[in-house]
Amino acid sequence: MTDTVQHEAGREREGTIHLPAPTAWPIVLAFGVTLGFAGLVTNLGVTVLGVILIAVGSIGWFRQVLPHEQHEDVPVRVQPVTIESSRKFVERIEVSEEHRAHLPVETYPVLSGVKGGIAGGIAMIFPALAYGLIAQHSIWYPINLLGGAGVANWRNPTTADIAAFHWEGLLVASVIQIVACLLVGLLYGAMLPMLPRRPVLLGGIIAPLLWTGLLHSTLGVINPVLDEHIAWGWFVISQVTFGVVAGLVVARESRIRTAQSLPFVVRMGIEAPGLMHDDHSQHSGEKH
Amino acid sequence: MADQTLPISGSVDVTPPHAAAGTFLERLHGWVVTVDHKKLGILYVVYSLIFLLVGGAEALAIRIQLMIPGNHFLTAATYNQFFTMHGTTMVFLVGMPILFGFANYLVPLMIGARDMAFPRLNAFSFWLTALGGLLLYFSFIGGPGLYGMGAAPDVGWFAYAPLTAHVFSPGNGTDYWALALIVSGFGTLGTAINIVATIISMRCKGMSLLRMPLFAWLMLVVSALTLVTITPLTAAQFMLLIDRYLGGHFFDTQAGGSALVWIHFFWIFGHPEVYVLVLPAFAIANEIIPVFSRKAIFGYPAMVAASVGIAFVSLGVWAHHMFTVGMTSVSNAFFVLSTMLVGIPTGIKIFNWLATMWGGKIRFATPMLYCTAFVFQFLIAGLTGIILSVAPWDWQLHNSYFVIAHFHYVLVGAIVFNIFAAIYYWYPKVTGRMMSERLGKWNFWLFLIGFHVTFDTMHFLGFLGMPRSIYTYEPNRGWNGLNMVVSIGAFIQGVAALIFVYNLVWSYFHGEVAGNDPWDAWTLEWATPSPPPDYNFATDPEVKSRRPLWDLKHPDDPDWKYE
Repeated sequence: MTDTVQHEAGREREGTIHLPAPTAWPIVLAFGVTLGFAGLVTNLGVTVLGVILIAVGSIGWFRQVLPHEQHEDVPVRVQPVTIESSRKFVERIEVSEEHRAHLPVETYPVLSGVKGGIAGGIAMIFPALAYGLIAQHSIWYPINLLGGAGVANWRNPTTADIAAFHWEGLLVASVIQIVACLLVGLLYGAMLPMLPRRPVLLGGIIAPLLWTGLLHSTLGVINPVLDEHIAWGWFVISQVTFGVVAGLVVARESRIRTAQSLPFVVRMGIEAPGLMHDDHSQHSGEKH
Repeated sequence: MADQTLPISGSVDVTPPHAAAGTFLERLHGWVVTVDHKKLGILYVVYSLIFLLVGGAEALAIRIQLMIPGNHFLTAATYNQFFTMHGTTMVFLVGMPILFGFANYLVPLMIGARDMAFPRLNAFSFWLTALGGLLLYFSFIGGPGLYGMGAAPDVGWFAYAPLTAHVFSPGNGTDYWALALIVSGFGTLGTAINIVATIISMRCKGMSLLRMPLFAWLMLVVSALTLVTITPLTAAQFMLLIDRYLGGHFFDTQAGGSALVWIHFFWIFGHPEVYVLVLPAFAIANEIIPVFSRKAIFGYPAMVAASVGIAFVSLGVWAHHMFTVGMTSVSNAFFVLSTMLVGIPTGIKIFNWLATMWGGKIRFATPMLYCTAFVFQFLIAGLTGIILSVAPWDWQLHNSYFVIAHFHYVLVGAIVFNIFAAIYYWYPKVTGRMMSERLGKWNFWLFLIGFHVTFDTMHFLGFLGMPRSIYTYEPNRGWNGLNMVVSIGAFIQGVAALIFVYNLVWSYFHGEVAGNDPWDAWTLEWATPSPPPDYNFATDPEVKSRRPLWDLKHPDDPDWKYE
């Protein structure tokens, strides 16, 4: 079966097609340019020949296109051809209810993660400062531990150095804290659609433990100075504080409907005709 | 049913094929004066394949030299020339021309046009590229020249200053390198302008940008990227020639210049150049994987965005080639992060290729075999790239065989594999005959084995501290066995390449007749006869979706209802 037969464009007819006429001037010009450069490392006579060919090629090319482009007419007789597939049967992707049951219909907005990150980032400062005061008698100690990572010229500081006030350390620590909390919050928000049921458990306990474990194993490579001076117990407390506060902030947010309730193609631009049939019929009344 | 038909006119030129008539000289003349994008595309591809064999032969000579310690198969001077010419050839005379050849042949067909926007410029660009390559190889026999002995370039494919200064590189080898690449660079720029103009202005009715085949999209991105990246290289090469012959001091540190300026110029070109080469390989995979998975590409808009994103980010990563130069910590940090950023859009692409294959009715014909291998090899290449993007790692591994292994994983594991895939896939369209599947599978499996034997092993040589570009090595360095393995792998790849060439020639004369659409594909080129007539389409096609042939083949379930 062919549909083109039915269309006007597929009717048999005759005519001619204009195509650009073949021409030797491009190769003449290219040869001239090449010889023009080649003469610089062979013989200046070659360059002279190249320049002559460039002139001849350019003139010939101009004459080819001015005042009118030269064409050749190709006679054709159009006749319809069949465009068909040997694969007549289209198998659509099966989507089982069980599979879709795992996709959340409602979740927290990504922005709630950012808000949680900001709140958690503020909250975690307090146990960190408490650690500095109790263990090192200086609130600047944890700040410099964090900020020292960004100060390139700080080599092998003593404990007294770390406990003292350094405005570069405060500045860098502030930037790291703000950026890291925002990014972690954003990541947290992005993960919520995957694990939407217990944000406090996820953010407060599991994520801090995973993060601390990862950092514990790699900090010696990333920042040996910080690794030497860090107190992991206080670090975990600080991280859990971040996570619990962030989780609580997220949990207070109202849930929104996920894109799962909308046609897949509409959201993602994915071509999935098999899905679309069902989605259109089922959700056509629900679209905004 | 009328609303389900699309006016893609299936049409046949029933005029006697005038081009086939005539003597050999007349046919040769027809090729020399042609402005037909298809013939020029074929010329590009054939030219590149010839240089692929030449560059491959140089690689084998290099591997023979390094096969055993203390070897003198080549002289040290010849070895330097060979690795310089190997790199230059593969990047400038194989990689770019062959990919632009595919673009030349396929883009007008895919977007429903009769030719490129500027057919004469197209011919001019090809001949510049071709003659630039011949000029480069003329350096082997160039004679004494004006200023000293003639010889092939021997300064590495990146030609770092101050080695290229006249005092360190007398003779004309470096000049040939610069001049030949300037000439071929002009050709590349012409082709890039042509592709951009063609895609922007000559798409058929109904083909909006977001209905274009991804192949055309990526060629648009690549061409735009080429326009940005070739120009710094050409400028730097002119500066180099000014330094060498007109008393300039751009790269002369002792006279107020800076060798670092050359490195910056070169890698501002050089790293995006990797993406200029690999994005067309992605483009090939974007066409082949869906057809052989019998599914539409997963995440078309994401693929477009990722391609544009890769091109954009690639312009800001060049100094990761310069970590060992001694930059500031801020510069190091910036280029570490920007390099790692490339991993995001490339990761999206790998995910989408796998998602396209997932659940599909996959048929592992030779093109699909190559594309499947490409996906996994490119993933590994990307991971070693991330490793090298970490400055402290790079300080340890820079200029070692780990770097050689990494970029060969990209250039061979991704690009050459997909070039093979493309040739197997579109050969029926170009010649009207199928390539032999049996020989194709021999070709694939041998090349795959040879590739991994060679380049997997090279990573370990890098870890063991073997530097790149060394002429030979002492037997007590612990590199002997691994070098032998690498060389054996190279020869296995050589055998596979010969099978490929044999398959190309044999199939041209004896291959099964292909028909118009042997793969049951969905883009417009498959609506034309094989090979297509000079004018491509007798009537202007009109499309309503990204897969116009799917719409024709499945009128009860067309794509345009859902896009």
